[in-house]
Amino acid sequence: MHTSIQRLGGLLAAGLIVAACGGSAASPAPGQGGSGAAAGPVDLTFWYWAESDAPGADKWMADTVTAYHALHPNVTIKVDPQSTDTLQSAFQTAAASNSGPDIASQWATGPVLSFVWTGAVSAISDLVPADEMKHWLNTNENTYQGKVWAAPMYLLGIGLAYNKDLFAKAGVTPPTGDRWTWDEFLAACAKLKAAGITPFVGGDKNGYLGAWWFANVGGQQLDSAQDLVQAVVGNKSFTDPKYTGWYSELEKLVKNGYVNNDVMSLDLDQGVRLFQQGKGAMAFTSDGMLATAVSQLGGDKVGVMQPPKWGSGKLADAGNATQSISFFVTKWSAHQKEAADFLQYLHTPDRLKAWYAATGVVAADDRFDSSLITVPQLQQMAKFETTGPQVWLENWIPPQLDGDGDIPAGQTIFSGSGSAADAGALWERVANTWRSAHPDEVANWQNLLK
Amino acid sequence: MSLLGRLTGTVARHALMLSIAIAAIYPVYYMLVTSLKTKSAWTADQFGLPFNPTLDNYGAVFADGRIPVWFLNSVLVTGLSVILATVVATFAAYAIARIPFTGATFLLRLMIALMVIPPAVLILPLFLGFQPLGLVNTYQGVILIYAGMIVPISVYMLVSFFRTLPAEIFDAARIDGASTLRILVSIVIPLSAPGFVTLIVVNALWVWNELLIALVFLQDDNQRTLMAGLTQFKGHYSVNEPLVMAGTFISALPMLLLFLAGQRFFVRGLVAGAVK
Amino acid sequence: MTAIPRSIRSRRRFDATPYLFIAPAVALIALVYGYPIIRIVIDSFLAPTASGGKTVSTANYSNVVADPVFWKSAGNNLFLLIGVPIMTALALLVAAVLFEQIRGWRVYRTLVFTPYILAVPVIGATFVYLYGFNGIVNTLLRDTGLGGLAQDWLGSPSLVVPSILSVIVYREFGFGVMLFLARMATVNVELYEAAMLDGAGWWARFRYITIPQLHSVIGFFVVIELITMLSWVFAYVYSMTGGGPGFASSVLEIYIWKNAFAYRAVGIASAVAVLLLVATSVFVIIQLLVRKGDAETGEE
Repeated sequence: MHTSIQRLGGLLAAGLIVAACGGSAASPAPGQGGSGAAAGPVDLTFWYWAESDAPGADKWMADTVTAYHALHPNVTIKVDPQSTDTLQSAFQTAAASNSGPDIASQWATGPVLSFVWTGAVSAISDLVPADEMKHWLNTNENTYQGKVWAAPMYLLGIGLAYNKDLFAKAGVTPPTGDRWTWDEFLAACAKLKAAGITPFVGGDKNGYLGAWWFANVGGQQLDSAQDLVQAVVGNKSFTDPKYTGWYSELEKLVKNGYVNNDVMSLDLDQGVRLFQQGKGAMAFTSDGMLATAVSQLGGDKVGVMQPPKWGSGKLADAGNATQSISFFVTKWSAHQKEAADFLQYLHTPDRLKAWYAATGVVAADDRFDSSLITVPQLQQMAKFETTGPQVWLENWIPPQLDGDGDIPAGQTIFSGSGSAADAGALWERVANTWRSAHPDEVANWQNLLK
Repeated sequence: MSLLGRLTGTVARHALMLSIAIAAIYPVYYMLVTSLKTKSAWTADQFGLPFNPTLDNYGAVFADGRIPVWFLNSVLVTGLSVILATVVATFAAYAIARIPFTGATFLLRLMIALMVIPPAVLILPLFLGFQPLGLVNTYQGVILIYAGMIVPISVYMLVSFFRTLPAEIFDAARIDGASTLRILVSIVIPLSAPGFVTLIVVNALWVWNELLIALVFLQDDNQRTLMAGLTQFKGHYSVNEPLVMAGTFISALPMLLLFLAGQRFFVRGLVAGAVK
Repeated sequence: MTAIPRSIRSRRRFDATPYLFIAPAVALIALVYGYPIIRIVIDSFLAPTASGGKTVSTANYSNVVADPVFWKSAGNNLFLLIGVPIMTALALLVAAVLFEQIRGWRVYRTLVFTPYILAVPVIGATFVYLYGFNGIVNTLLRDTGLGGLAQDWLGSPSLVVPSILSVIVYREFGFGVMLFLARMATVNVELYEAAMLDGAGWWARFRYITIPQLHSVIGFFVVIELITMLSWVFAYVYSMTGGGPGFASSVLEIYIWKNAFAYRAVGIASAVAVLLLVATSVFVIIQLLVRKGDAETGEE
């Protein structure tokens, strides 16, 4: 992002204009083609989030905006990088005032749909031709009432990365297949610990490591995401071990000292850094984090497997790839066509290629040339992410249940301040609070079961 | 008291003060030292002096470019809201302090009561009320809120100052035929100059440091105040601690310099409300 | 010549001047305080229904009372109150030592006051590192052989609130030192000289002269800090933990902010705002009573 001080003088006036535009009805001007070739100048604001998932994404977006502006000189796109902690509340605040960016970013399914239900989102499938959209991957994550509401950019899967040197030192052999069983995982942890190596490293200060465990392991007794929604709307209880029994497994890891002792004073990214520095044998990593680990530790030192299999539900065999962040056009945008055109531009072959070069993360598009992936570990990840059904469980709960239930429950276990039963009770209590405070949202979530 | 006893007393006092002073200044030292290290140097040694100091982090802060913008936003918002509140409060305080009218006492009591109402109570209705008026995400909106929030303490403090002015001055001016407005502008305000400095320091510090309203009412990255921006900056670069500390130090620097340069004003300003 | 008729006239006729003078202030206050207070009371009794409408009910209050996060948040605010006597005592002690003008006292005074000049988000960002598991506090403990005491100060649910409390005390006590020093400078020196002649020691002078002489400014500081702990700690909590881990360090301001802006729960946020308003009103009443008491004893 480039901001010059000279622009400041106009900021006060710009504030007025934003305010004035906020109230205006957002229907695209007639006669504009899908190419975004509007005659007058078009200013688009993009609240963008991707860097935390895919380091390099901010730089790529800056280049992309410059390239797009060269093609469409009348369109100026201002990119505001968003912070993870306030991604939802910032957009919530904007949506409440019916003003804000033309394009916004939210995590798929729950977060996106909750804004769809409040009327802040224009369906992307109304703005983008079907023969373009058929190339996009994982659009099912944001499909509701027959429409697709947001565009994917990349696929985020979580793998269990491991350090081959540390494994060898402790006499641990990686699985012959793609993954370990839970018992094999525990046995490996015990060996590593005995050899003085921290078996698993991570950071849960901001709570996302717990959420990752929930999404990777927590759903393994369920058969589908709808199973989870049953508990969300109150047809089932979260205290059922089917939903929260896995916390006692996580508790074991912590109690046995298989997790780094500063897990609660590091954020997610900071925790992964320990692995990248060779200070732990295993860590959950996204593709981007894995790429960094490979480049820092060396290509022959790092391996990756799928998270261990613990449960016996159908989801235990599903992959965990999600488009993670989704981009959508806001209802109040005065330039919806142009905004959608820019999102299409992100999926042009040149941009997809540049995306991969910048981030090392697989693009969510079937036109993405997978032969670009040269790092074996990342080829492995791409295989996990595109083979078989994919469900990222955290997408299927309302933000409040994520923020007050999922995340605190994980922190309860990692900090050793409560038991697995406490974690389950917490989920149920928060779900109850949410249901009684939001009967309107509960009705919307019930629609997901139909 | 024996010489020895006095000596140990002195030693104890200096030991106490030294340890408190070191603790008080340590975060500033830590910010500065960390900001001069590379990421790997910081990882290797968090606390020591930088062996190979680098200004790269400051380069990155300015390349990011947002902190200078946020700084100017803060200057703008703080300046305008303090000016607005001071003008409005001057008139009200003068009326309450010097012109007898029905409701003056009630009004002063009301101001004292309002001083303690936290912003958290007010933000949601203000937000919902400002929304249809198009005041959310505008500087005007936050300036109105900040000005309104500091009016009670401003009125309260100014009333105290105005009441200390000797009554004879007013009588003399009135005998000379000066109007109420004239008395206010050419007598009361000049005589209360130290009071105004005090008030402005107190209010400016409060607005400058305010976070909750800034987070809620200025969402656009280019509109943020320094304090709200800093929390974003920290989240955005969470894996690069030296860079975060460079941004934080830069953000703290203007106030620190202002404090060192005008310590007397700060101190006088902050204590004047309570000590007379 | 005109002086007397003027004053007579003004006594008889209604004088609009004061009302014109107060009008802008009253308007601003009506906007920023009046409207919101009326609106939270109304909104707190409007609960959402399954059909997407609203209904008049006390459901928001019963939901709040049933929510453990609310009780945890309120409890944390109450816990923070114990910082007030701590910082008051510390500030008094330091002020008393500085008041003796020990060598270098001006430098000490400047340094002690520095944290108060640093904005809360600045302090917060720095203390996240200092209180980290491998931060300076734990490193010092380990280096001095007290490694067993090393804790995850902000990551442990049982320690996070005391840790935040220590940061608040750390930043705010310098303000107390300044207040107390300024007031001490106005205490009649003869009181101390007379006491010294009578053989009163340091502690006796502190206890029987300094503290009684400072009682009104101590009262002022205590009230200000009580209010701070009850309802002005958002920036501290937000910049250090955001209310976490979990909601272990949540406070009422965080609870209101989350419900209002992240969870779209207008009714819940309004109900808690009303409760917080009632709680702060108690302090207002105390403050007014204290002022009244002071006025009666001839102080202000």
